[in-house]
Amino acid sequence: MNKVILSSILTALLTTTFVGCAIERSDKPAPTVVQNVTVNKEEKSPQTNQAAQNPTQNEEKVLERNHTITISALGQGVAPMNTTSPAQAYALAKRAAIADAYRIIAEKVKGVRVEGEDTVVNMMIKRSKVRTYVNACIRSASVVETTFKDGLCEVEMEITLSYSQFAQ
Amino acid sequence: MRSRDGNHSFLLSICSIIFFNSLVLSASEYLISYRYVVKDATLYNESLSISKSMQKCNGTPQNALILPTESDTNLKTVIAKNSEEFIDYIHKLNLHVEHNDVTINAQYKSTTILTLKTTCFEVDFNDNFVKIAPLK
Repeated sequence: MNKVILSSILTALLTTTFVGCAIERSDKPAPTVVQNVTVNKEEKSPQTNQAAQNPTQNEEKVLERNHTITISALGQGVAPMNTTSPAQAYALAKRAAIADAYRIIAEKVKGVRVEGEDTVVNMMIKRSKVRTYVNACIRSASVVETTFKDGLCEVEMEITLSYSQFAQ
Repeated sequence: MRSRDGNHSFLLSICSIIFFNSLVLSASEYLISYRYVVKDATLYNESLSISKSMQKCNGTPQNALILPTESDTNLKTVIAKNSEEFIDYIHKLNLHVEHNDVTINAQYKSTTILTLKTTCFEVDFNDNFVKIAPLK
């Protein structure tokens, strides 16, 4: 009789321990989910509460009415070898960096077209060619910061997009 | 001779009308285009073309740039002296970006062309400064 009581007590203890562990495990991820939602809310405007509940929708920025989106890009440029002065090198590298930043902005806003071509001869790749191109028109982009170090010029540019620019 | 309200002389008002009309008439129009090519992150070619318009341009002047002149009346000279400022200003206008890059057998080549298509600018020379504004 005592053995039966002892075994039942042991079983009860074991079950409570396992259930407790299971409850703890299921409880642990809950705060992280809540944290994720709050972080996403900070990124978006307060009006997009529905989108905030779904984190996958939040990653893609959508231009909404009465809202603006700022897109920034970091362009890099190098001075040519045959410059006559450091000032000229800086000016030329800055031009190249601005063009690079414009290209990045165009890629972000309008997208890139990509073409690939591989030539296979006798089951071996003989020539691999990837071509990308961008064609866009950009207005009111502004230079935020310029740095020039070791012949490399970096220009940070940004552009603000508003809904009214695209509304017809 | 006095005007109806008797505060300003008739001669003064006539003079002011002539003065403001002369200011409007002195504004001339120029066609400006700008293009530069960057190859493999290095500036390859840059060209700025300025010519006086032979036809009347349509449109209203937009955000203007004011450059100092040292009694120069030639726009090319003024822009040459303030080229950095002018090119920074051009960057804020409509610039067309064309970028191509090709990777052949892991060797990368890129070309970026930035172009300001030929745009009509209203240029207004004054005593010590010139006002340049694109017409749109």
